[in-house]
Amino acid sequence: MREVAVIGLGMHPWGKFGDKSVQQLCRVAVDAALKDAGVAWRDIEAVAAASSRFSGGRGWGLNGNDVIDDMGATGIPVYNLSAGCAAGGNAFNVGTMLVASGQHDMVLVVGGEKMPKGFIQTSGVEETTDPEYLRQVCIGVPGPTFWAFMCRRRMADHGTTEEQLAKIAVKARKLAVHNPNARFRKETSVEEVMGSALVSYPLRLFEICPVSDGAAAVVICSAEKARRLTTRPLWVAASAIATARFDDGIPRGLAGAVPKDGKAYHSEAAAAVRKAMEKAAIGPEGIDLIELQDNTVYYELSFPEEWGFCEPGEAEHLLESGATLPTGRLPINPSGGFISFGEATTAQGLFQICELGWQLRGEAGGRQVPDAKVGLAQTLGLGGNGSGTILKR
Amino acid sequence: MADRIPVADGLFAETKDGARLIGSRCASCGTPYFPKVDWCRHPECAASKIEDAGFGPDGTIWSCAIQDYPPPAPAKFDKPYKPYAMAVVDLADGLRVLGQIKTDDIRSVKPDMKVTLVVDALCHDDAGNEVVTWKFEVNHA
Repeated sequence: MREVAVIGLGMHPWGKFGDKSVQQLCRVAVDAALKDAGVAWRDIEAVAAASSRFSGGRGWGLNGNDVIDDMGATGIPVYNLSAGCAAGGNAFNVGTMLVASGQHDMVLVVGGEKMPKGFIQTSGVEETTDPEYLRQVCIGVPGPTFWAFMCRRRMADHGTTEEQLAKIAVKARKLAVHNPNARFRKETSVEEVMGSALVSYPLRLFEICPVSDGAAAVVICSAEKARRLTTRPLWVAASAIATARFDDGIPRGLAGAVPKDGKAYHSEAAAAVRKAMEKAAIGPEGIDLIELQDNTVYYELSFPEEWGFCEPGEAEHLLESGATLPTGRLPINPSGGFISFGEATTAQGLFQICELGWQLRGEAGGRQVPDAKVGLAQTLGLGGNGSGTILKR
Repeated sequence: MADRIPVADGLFAETKDGARLIGSRCASCGTPYFPKVDWCRHPECAASKIEDAGFGPDGTIWSCAIQDYPPPAPAKFDKPYKPYAMAVVDLADGLRVLGQIKTDDIRSVKPDMKVTLVVDALCHDDAGNEVVTWKFEVNHA
């Protein structure tokens, strides 16, 4: 397999852009990524798109074919990848395979989303054979409640406090002040977070990510092309994806089996991240920063443990000691994370890749992780999809 | 006269020994399923042998949460909205299942409490019928 370089990064800021279409958001991100790479649209040989819409109508979600139409239909192949909120990571994975395999020398990976208002809704299919539908009808459990269940169990296991949860949101927003692409760029306080409305106890409004509109794009290419085009390529040390295991302890529909031994939660994310570290032959000690999927502040505590970055129950200590700040020993989400961006579902995985890229190039300004050489990005998506990506400079 | 009608058919029943969830179990590997399934999905199961099975009523709260805001459709509730407690319960017979908690004191519900499966009102329909579902009641020693 060939080495794969990342040479172009581009984003449209995250926020609510009522008047703009998802194609307009993508156009901004793709133009920026092409310009950053120093290549033209005609140089792109294939597109891997994080897609959530496949039909003709231009409603909610992205179809990669529309990006090609808008940029100028050159007849190149498009790979529309669906993986819920993990789609950006999956599209990046497929894009890197296209280059690594020798199939193409230069590939655009793109994700964009315009989200409907309110919390993310499920399919809306009213079928009594669908556990997702039954869960809502019979019990009244919407999506964010799962995060509350996981968080409450952690509080029982490790004594996590509501103040500690609030501190994670405060940290996220403090960093987002330095990120021009973030949606919420004002600092907040523990008091303000604790005073925000309870969504699903123990989680409050400022501790979960809202839905946003946004788009991000990345140009990747072969080592040969990269060396000709830039003096500062970034390298894909590893990209891995996975799906959830049967013995995962989270009941994803109405019910599951009580797990027999140990705790395995978010097994799709853990498998992808661990596989990426194995492929890259880089362990937790070799990773300078993590961009993880913080749909809720809880994940900033649980994920590092589930991937072997710290011991169970140690994450609260890392938070309190400042270890997860850009200047700490395990910087987490220097971008400000989903808490400061909101979630433009399928685009999130590529927003993470862009942030890793800017950090590794030393272009992250007030949120810069000093001398960052290796970064890890991770997604988790509906249906049991996870991705792990390691970039190095 | 108003009736008591289940929120969905074939998911739960009241027996003389208490409430039961109606699901399946694989006789080959023992894996429990709720709702019913047609075949065993355990990747290491040698041969799927699905049989009908009832689950409950004894369990322990693995974790819990409170629905502090009115959930979006298709969730059902009486108006005006009153927050309710929900839990993930580990039943003694091996099923980890979600359910509301039947209680007037929603903030007192905690992980590791012992609970019992019950059938209880979820809401009322337009004709005034009581729509019932499965819930859990905290055991008070």
